[in-house]
Amino acid sequence: MNLAKHWAATLDDYVIDLGWSSDGSLLATASAAGPVSLFAADDGAKTATLPGHDDGTNCLTWHPSQPLLATGGQDGKVKFWDAPSAQHTASAELGGAWVEHLAWRSAGSTAQPSQSLLAAAAGRNLAVFNPDGSTRHAFPPAPKTISALAWQPAGGALAAAYFGGVCLWDADDFVVQKEFAYANGIHALVWSPDNRWLVSGNQDPSVHLWLPEQNDEFHMSGYESKVKELSFDRDSHWLATGGGRDACLWDCTGKGPEGREPTMLPHEAKVCAVAFQHTHGLLATASQDGTLHLWSPERKQPLRATVKMPAPATKLAWSPDDRLLAVGSEKGIVYVLKCEG
Amino acid sequence: MSNDTPIPVTVLTGFLGAGKTTLLNRILSEQHGKKLAVIENEFGEVGVDNQLVIQSDEEIFEMNNGCICCSVRGDLIRILGRLMKRKDKLDGILIETTGLADPGPVAQTFFTDDEMRTRFRLDSIVTLVDAKHVVQHIDSSPEVKKQIGFADVIILNKTDLVTPAELSALESRVHKMNGAAKLHRTQNAAIDLQHVLNVGGFNLSRATELDPEFLAPDYPFEWAGAYLLPAGAHDLVIGHCDHGHEGHDHAHDHEGHTHHHHGNENELDIVIMPVKSLDEKDLAAAREAAVLVFADWENRVKPGESVTPGGTLHRLLLDHGHGHYPLTIAQPGHYLVFEGCGEEPLHIQVAGENVRPSWQEDYEHHHSHDDEVSSVGISTPGDLDGKRLNDWIGNLLKTKGGDIYRMKGVLAVKGSPNRLVFQGVHMLFDAKFDKPWGASPRTNTLVFIGKNLDRTALNEGFKACLA
Repeated sequence: MNLAKHWAATLDDYVIDLGWSSDGSLLATASAAGPVSLFAADDGAKTATLPGHDDGTNCLTWHPSQPLLATGGQDGKVKFWDAPSAQHTASAELGGAWVEHLAWRSAGSTAQPSQSLLAAAAGRNLAVFNPDGSTRHAFPPAPKTISALAWQPAGGALAAAYFGGVCLWDADDFVVQKEFAYANGIHALVWSPDNRWLVSGNQDPSVHLWLPEQNDEFHMSGYESKVKELSFDRDSHWLATGGGRDACLWDCTGKGPEGREPTMLPHEAKVCAVAFQHTHGLLATASQDGTLHLWSPERKQPLRATVKMPAPATKLAWSPDDRLLAVGSEKGIVYVLKCEG
Repeated sequence: MSNDTPIPVTVLTGFLGAGKTTLLNRILSEQHGKKLAVIENEFGEVGVDNQLVIQSDEEIFEMNNGCICCSVRGDLIRILGRLMKRKDKLDGILIETTGLADPGPVAQTFFTDDEMRTRFRLDSIVTLVDAKHVVQHIDSSPEVKKQIGFADVIILNKTDLVTPAELSALESRVHKMNGAAKLHRTQNAAIDLQHVLNVGGFNLSRATELDPEFLAPDYPFEWAGAYLLPAGAHDLVIGHCDHGHEGHDHAHDHEGHTHHHHGNENELDIVIMPVKSLDEKDLAAAREAAVLVFADWENRVKPGESVTPGGTLHRLLLDHGHGHYPLTIAQPGHYLVFEGCGEEPLHIQVAGENVRPSWQEDYEHHHSHDDEVSSVGISTPGDLDGKRLNDWIGNLLKTKGGDIYRMKGVLAVKGSPNRLVFQGVHMLFDAKFDKPWGASPRTNTLVFIGKNLDRTALNEGFKACLA
């Protein structure tokens, strides 16, 4: 197996976020300074440069089925962009604080465009917006600044984390379904694709796993540093995490990871990004020394490929068909790698 | 790796109106060639173009059930995390806190985790003090005391609004609270920025740059006087004399504040030592000898019972603050009288006449008032036992970490040719071996700043760590 450079592009600043459009034809990249660029997946041609946000862009996310991009920035705004025309279609405000987290509700089983909702968090404020930028619902402020958002894959609930816990909001009537207390900072949230597990990566440093349906929870500690990187594989079998010099794989089948030894995937520097493929089994992990490894967790010799980059990765994103891996870097270079063999 | 050297961070604290914004604007305009980010808490008037100004709402994260030592500023973690995400690194970060902010969580934020420790370097906490108005709230405001206690640099601003006497009184009070901070006097916050930026207040290797005066040794007595006495039976008199003699009344400059007598007001500790001459060398030797005697068991003396010169600690039992004690002198000569904590005047009468002391000295008395912020400096030559030191510091921080705001020091650990430098905020503690001692004498220098500090216990605890 080989990871070959497909194309690369240079942004004006640190690559703070990137993501593939739902059809895989475009890669959107946001620089920390503000501009958002769109590139054609095939050849890396820049199709548009969007102004992004005045004081810097923080995050971006594509609509799950349409060429509609949402971005959040330090101007306290959520902006909506039509990719084909490169037009700014709408803006929404969230109370002035930085917009740091965005998440589209995936189509799930109820694949109606009208069901599409964008959740956005800025400071303690949380709201959901319609694709036209109108506010569907503004939630009561969280007790502390919201630090992560994740829609349940089936679309029934939105999880919002803050220092002190996670709140599960019902996606239809926007009432609280459940609240999980957690007495420390939470950096990341992820759901398993089968909706069974909700996992947080924590400051303390640890990962915490909830089984919302069973009102059960597990705590996995022993990490070297705070856990900001989480990814589940397509089968909800493996949970990959950062939090140290090794990427860590927890077996989440059956009763879950408690009592099981995690599989350690070694790096020579602190792991800074992990990403499983959407429908295939490869895991990409990146570390602060610029190394990128590709793994097959099921194999006895799991390491499949290694690439060394001149700057550490900031974000990893597999294209919808899993053929391309987009890598953002601290020095502003975007690499698109092709997975061959 | 793209971010090797940590970004220096300066924290500006001080009450509203103390001049933080003035100083901030001064820094930004004088440092305009540098890329600085300002994190502001109050809706500021920072108005310098092309600088990154970020508003922030104070958000305290209590990491461990409300333990103040484990509280950090969540908003700063988040903002600093975002400020790291740049292709070109910032030259520095300035954090302006609200007038009422507790500097503890701000400082502790920089110890939160490895990422914070490696990406940022807390350079110093700079506290601005409004020289005119601070006196109105220094007693009632724990915030003011904390801001002074946590500071590496204290700027007494608006000095044009107070008299020189008021200013020096304030300066000496502030210095007593925080003996380790560098003090500056300014008008309109006009200060050479080298005193504010990159001062290395949290720099371990600069931790010893402490005021030598502040590190004066701690004596168990408050006053000593020398008397030239003939042989014979004299009288040691405590309390005001009945007859109108002008006597030595060494009230130790007690005016202006209430002196808290620690212990029984009807007890006074006295040591009388012969001294060869009034040469500084002989006085110093006698003083050192008296320190040892003060550490000895006391000999309780009722009024009317006699006291003798020599290595005995006399605890005079007073009657309503008064007492007469026969003092027999066999050899005529100079005698030093060392007195513990006393309120009443002390006289030596020869044939009924008060003898004037031919030399006298006051020693700083260090009983801090409850809740008062103070500093305890320790300076002792010798090598420390590493394990005992570790146990002592560990236990001290566990039990007193909440009251200890800052500590800094340079220590000589037995078996190591290098200086051990350390500094801490509350319970958080950083220590590392620095450059070798080389030819310089191996001596231990450390300072604690905080409230309710027990000077004696800290001194004794530390000295017990000597190998």
